[in-house]
Amino acid sequence: MSAFDGMITGFQVALSWEGILFVLIGVIVGTLIGMMPGLGPISAIAIMIPITYGMDPAPALVMMAGVYYGAVFGGSTSSILLNAPGISGTVATAFDGYPMAQQGKAGKALAIAAIASFFGGTVSVIMLMLLAPALSSVAISFGPPAYFALMLMGLTAISSLSEGSTIKAMISAVAGVMVVTIGIDPQTGTQRFTFGNINLLDGFDFLIIALGLFALAEVCMLVLNRKNRSLSDDQKLGSLKVTRADLKEMSGPMTRQSFVGFILGVLPGAGATIASFISYIFEKRISKNPEEFGKGSIKGLAAPESSNNAATSGAFVPLLSLGIPGSGTTAVMLGAFLVLGVQPGPLLMSDRPEIFWGIIASMYLGNIFLLVLNLPLIPYLAKILSIPRPLLISLVIMFSLIGVYSISFNVFDLYMLLVFGALGFAMRVFSFPAPPFILAFILGGMMEQAFRQSMTISNGNLAIFVNSPLPLSLILIAFLSLVIPGLLKWRSRRKLAKM
Amino acid sequence: MLSTINQRIGLILFIIAAIYLYLSFQLPNYPYAPIDADVIPKGLGVLMLILSAALFFSKVIETEAEKAKRNIPKKELLVLLAVFAMIFLYILLFEAIGFIIMTAVFIFFSSWFLGYTKWKTNIIVSILFPLGMYAIFVFALGISLPKGILPI
Amino acid sequence: MKKTIFTSILAASALLFAGCNSEGSTSGGTSEDGTFEPSQNIEMVAPAGAGGGWDTTAREVARVFGETDIIEENMTVVNKEGGGGAIAWAYIHGKDDSPYNLFVASPPLMFVPLNGQSEHGHEDFTPLANMIADYGAFAVSADSEWEDLNDLFDQMKADPESVTVVGTSAPGSMDHMQFVRIAKAAGVDPTKIKYVSDQDGGALTSVLNGSVDVFSTGVGEVVEQVRAGNIKVLGITAEERMEGEVLSDFPTAIEQGIDESFINWRGFFGPPNMDQAAVDYYEAKFKELSESEEFAEVREKYGWNEMYLNSAEYEEFLNTEYEEIEVLLEEIGLGN
Repeated sequence: MSAFDGMITGFQVALSWEGILFVLIGVIVGTLIGMMPGLGPISAIAIMIPITYGMDPAPALVMMAGVYYGAVFGGSTSSILLNAPGISGTVATAFDGYPMAQQGKAGKALAIAAIASFFGGTVSVIMLMLLAPALSSVAISFGPPAYFALMLMGLTAISSLSEGSTIKAMISAVAGVMVVTIGIDPQTGTQRFTFGNINLLDGFDFLIIALGLFALAEVCMLVLNRKNRSLSDDQKLGSLKVTRADLKEMSGPMTRQSFVGFILGVLPGAGATIASFISYIFEKRISKNPEEFGKGSIKGLAAPESSNNAATSGAFVPLLSLGIPGSGTTAVMLGAFLVLGVQPGPLLMSDRPEIFWGIIASMYLGNIFLLVLNLPLIPYLAKILSIPRPLLISLVIMFSLIGVYSISFNVFDLYMLLVFGALGFAMRVFSFPAPPFILAFILGGMMEQAFRQSMTISNGNLAIFVNSPLPLSLILIAFLSLVIPGLLKWRSRRKLAKM
Repeated sequence: MLSTINQRIGLILFIIAAIYLYLSFQLPNYPYAPIDADVIPKGLGVLMLILSAALFFSKVIETEAEKAKRNIPKKELLVLLAVFAMIFLYILLFEAIGFIIMTAVFIFFSSWFLGYTKWKTNIIVSILFPLGMYAIFVFALGISLPKGILPI
Repeated sequence: MKKTIFTSILAASALLFAGCNSEGSTSGGTSEDGTFEPSQNIEMVAPAGAGGGWDTTAREVARVFGETDIIEENMTVVNKEGGGGAIAWAYIHGKDDSPYNLFVASPPLMFVPLNGQSEHGHEDFTPLANMIADYGAFAVSADSEWEDLNDLFDQMKADPESVTVVGTSAPGSMDHMQFVRIAKAAGVDPTKIKYVSDQDGGALTSVLNGSVDVFSTGVGEVVEQVRAGNIKVLGITAEERMEGEVLSDFPTAIEQGIDESFINWRGFFGPPNMDQAAVDYYEAKFKELSESEEFAEVREKYGWNEMYLNSAEYEEFLNTEYEEIEVLLEEIGLGN
C-alpha cells in the first residue's frame, strides 16, 4: 500500500462519525487533564486505558492519541498564567509566556501558545504522514555516542540562557548536574548521595525541580509584592488580540521550530522537553534582539510551544513504525495498544493500515479541534490572574503541591519541593539564573549516561566520539556554536579599534 | 574580608563543593565500568570549587538593580518564613488529616494571613477548591488522594 | 449562606467522628470459624508507575477479579513508584498483618535487596500465589554473524572485550543477571561480561544501529521485531519451547546444550504476618482466577504463561531462586 492509499484509508477512519467523535473526546479529555497540576500525557493516557477496554481498536487509539497531544496542548496554560509548568515539556513556555501574562497580556499569550501549538502540531503531522516510514531509520541512527554529542550541543547553549554574570550562570548549571547525580547510577547500580534514604534512590523528578525553582520561587516574589494591585486592567487581560504583525513575528520561529521539534521528537529519549529548550535557545541565538527573550517575547513563546507539540507527533514515528517507545509517555501508549490487542511494530503499517494511518490522519482533525475549542476558553482562563493576590498565592501553592504529589504519592517529594522553592527564591534574590540549572538538570543526566555507555562499549577509548560521522558532526556544531559568536565579537571589536 | 555579597556566596558554595567532593570520594568502586560512578561527580566537585573561587575573587561590582533585589525588609522575610511554615505544616499533616480538610484550612488561613479580607469569598473558595479537586482526581480520574479522617 | 456553611461544618464534624470510630478495625475480617472473608476495599499496590509490567499485571488481575466476581469486594490498584520498588515494599511492610494490602512482585523483589537498594526482600512478606511466568530473550541484529547462543558465547570466550550486552535494568538486576546466568552455564567468565544499561528506551535502538551487540530483555519485547526481520533471537531462558506463532521458533538455551534457565515469575504477596485464614482465602481466589477463562484471555493477550503456585510452593520456589542469584551476584562481586 502506497503512502497515498494509506492516507485515504486513514482519512476514512478519521472522518467517520466514530473517528470524529473519539478524536473530539480525546482532545477534550487530554486538554483538561493536561491543565490539572502534575498530570501530563503519561497519567492522561494511563487514566484512559481502562475506558477503552472492549472498544474497537482504531477509534480507541485515535482517542488515545488525541489524549496525548491534547495533554501537551493543555499543559502550557499553567506555565503561562502561573509560572507553574504542569508538565516538563512546557517549562520553556514559562520563560516568555509568564512575563507576557504579567504585563496584562495573558489572553494574548495563551492565544499565541495555542496558535503556535496548532501550527507545530499540524506541520509535524504532515511530516509524519509523508516521512514516517522513511524517518524510522533516523530514529534508530542515534547510538550512545551520538546522544552524548547531542546533549553536549544542548549544554553549550547555557551561555545564551543567562544574562549578567557568566560565572553565576555556570555555577547554576553545575549545581543542576550535581542534583541529577543524586540517586542510583544506572550504569553501575551505585547509590550516589542518597544517604541511605530510599526516597532519594530514583533521584528527583523533573517536575519537583521545575515547580520549586519556578512556581514556588515566583510565589515568594508574589508574597513580597502582594500589596501591589493584582493586575491593572481586567478588560484587557482576556483579550485575544493577536495582530497581523504578531503573526508575522511568530511565523519564522513557528516554522523553524516545528521542524526542530519534530526531528528531536523522532529520536528516542529526546522528546518534547529537550525539544522545547533547544528551540527556545535556537531562536534566541539567531534573533536580532536576544535581549527581549525572557521578558515576554512573542518569538520566545512561540518557539517552544510549536516545538513541544511537533515533538509529540514526532514521537509517534518510532512508536508506529518500529514499535519502539522513545519516552515514558509513548511506553504507556504502547501499553494502550497492547490492551486493545494491537502490537505496534514494523509490521503495523502493512498489518493494520487503518490503525497506522487512522491515527495520523486523525491528528489533523485533533489539532483543529484543539484550536477551535481552546480559543474561546482563553478569556475565562486568563481571568485567573484577576484573582486577588493573597488568594492566588494560596491557590498556586496548592497547585504545585498537588502536582508533585500526583507524580509519586510520596510526601517526601513535597518536602523536597519546599526545599527547591527556597533554593529558587535564594537564586532569584542573589541573581543566579534558574534556566541554566534546569537545562543542565535535563541534559546532564542523559549526557553522563550516554558518555559512560559509550566508554563501556569502546573499552574506554575516547575515539568513539570522533570516528563515526554523526557524533563527530554534532560535536563540531557544538564547538562552532561556542566559538563563532566569540570570533564575531572579536572581529567587530577590532574593526572598531581600527577606526 | 567578606566585604561583598559575592564573596560570602562564593565561600558557602566552596564549602558545599568540598562536601560534595568528599562524598564523591566515598563512593564504592564498581569493577566493570571504564568510567565509574564517581568520575563525573568528582569532575563536578572540582568545577564547582573553581567556580566558587572565581566568584569569590571576581571584581564584578553588583549593579544597583541586583542590590535592590536583595534588599528585602526583615518584616517581609518573616512573612515569607511564615508562609513556608504553613506549607510545612500542610505537608506534615495532610496524609493523616486528609486532602480536603487540610487544603481548605491552608487556603483559608494563608489567604487571610496574606491580607485577604473578604472572608466570605475566602470560605467559599477554601471549601469549593479542595472539594472540586478531590472530585476530579478521585472520582473522575481514579487517582487517590489521602482521604484522612473523612470517610469518603 | 451562613446557614449552609454552618450545616456543612456540622456535617463535616459528624463525618469526622464517624471516621474516628471506624479506625482500628482494619485488620478484621476473620470470622469465628477461622475463615476469612474481606469486608472492605482491598488495596493492590503496583510498586511502579503507570504502564509498566507490574502495573499491567495488577490492573488486569484486579479487573478480572471484579468482572468475574471471584472476589466481591472492590480491589483498587495503587501505584507506589520509586526506588525500583523499595518505596512500595517499605509501605507494605508497614502494614503488618493487614489482609487488605496486597502487591504484585517479580524477580526484582530479590535483585533490588540483593543489590543493597532495599531493606525488604521476599522473605519479609507473605507469598500468596504465583500467577505468571515470563522468560528472557537474547536478541541480536538480523545481520549478525552469530546464529545461535554458542556462536555468541564462543566469541565472548575468545575476545570478551568485543561484545557488549544492553538491557533496561541496572547491572545486578534482571536483564543483566539472566544473561550472566546463562552465559556462565555456557562457560563464559561472568566477570568479563560487558553490560550497559539504557533506561531511556534506547536499548533496542542501540542493537538495531549496531552500537551494542546483544539485547537482553523479555520475550514479549522482541516478537514484533523478529516478525519484521530486524533482529533474531539466539536463545530464550525458558525450559522448553514456548507456544505461539513466532514464539515457538525461539530456541531455548537448554536445547543448545546450555543447562540453565531463568523464569521471570510474577505473583502476589501480602504484608508480613498475614493471618493464615487470609492466606488460604487469597490462595484459593488466585487459583480460581488462574483457572478462569477470562484470565486465560488476558494471558494470551500479553503472551504470558500460566504458572500457578500456591503459597507454600511459592515460598519454596522463591528460596531456591534466591540462593542461586545470591551466589551468582557474589561471584561477580555485586553482592551486598
